[in-house]
Amino acid sequence: MLPGRPDDPSPGDAALPEDLEELPPGTAAARTRLAWERTAITFGAVGLAMLRDEPVAGLIVLGVTPLIWALAHYVSATAPPQARSRRLLLVTVAVTSVAVVAMAAALFSHGGPIRLR
Amino acid sequence: MAAGGGATSSHDEHQESQPGKAGDKEPDIRFTLANERTFLAWNRTALALVVAGLGIVQLLPPFPRVPWGRHAVGVPLIVLGAVVSVTAYLEWRQIQAALRRSEPIPQSVLPKILVGTITGVAALSAVVLLVSAVR
Repeated sequence: MLPGRPDDPSPGDAALPEDLEELPPGTAAARTRLAWERTAITFGAVGLAMLRDEPVAGLIVLGVTPLIWALAHYVSATAPPQARSRRLLLVTVAVTSVAVVAMAAALFSHGGPIRLR
Repeated sequence: MAAGGGATSSHDEHQESQPGKAGDKEPDIRFTLANERTFLAWNRTALALVVAGLGIVQLLPPFPRVPWGRHAVGVPLIVLGAVVSVTAYLEWRQIQAALRRSEPIPQSVLPKILVGTITGVAALSAVVLLVSAVR
């Protein structure tokens, strides 16, 4: 039997069910949890980077880091869609808030083009 | 906008993205998780853009004779970070709704936004550098 012919079942095909949705999710949940942890680490790095010139804003961003980490660990992969949507909305609000704080720091802090006094 | 369907009004999108509507079914968890990872990756990109913009404004020395140069380059990156984050959430909702309806996944606009803005910022940086060197 020549490889690649239709009547040549490859070893992997034997394990596949007819409906692919019956396959176990494998490492998808673990990869997603790691993605959440990378995101939390990024928040921490941003907070640390902001600490030098904007200590208050930096501390606030650092405070968000455990929240993001907790979202990954305490909301399970099988959470209902509404809970999933809410936690992603929370991440969006957090990132947008960091951007607003960074914008304020860029425009109003020392050397910025807009002077408050 | 859609790669093959899935473009709806924002009102319809909001309604149809809610599970439990007629014809909707919760998608395979692997697709849901992959969609979530894509959203998180875009948000890490957004945070990197914000930090890059803030770093340009606060850490670079001022350009000679172009006092607004650092802000002209850095502020658009911070704004882009916010835009990327919000757009990533909206696209996550659109994709989740398309998965529920077993429709084609809509094409993302984020790469276009990212390429356009970064190209503009790069061009602006070149102009600022030239002006500060020539004047």
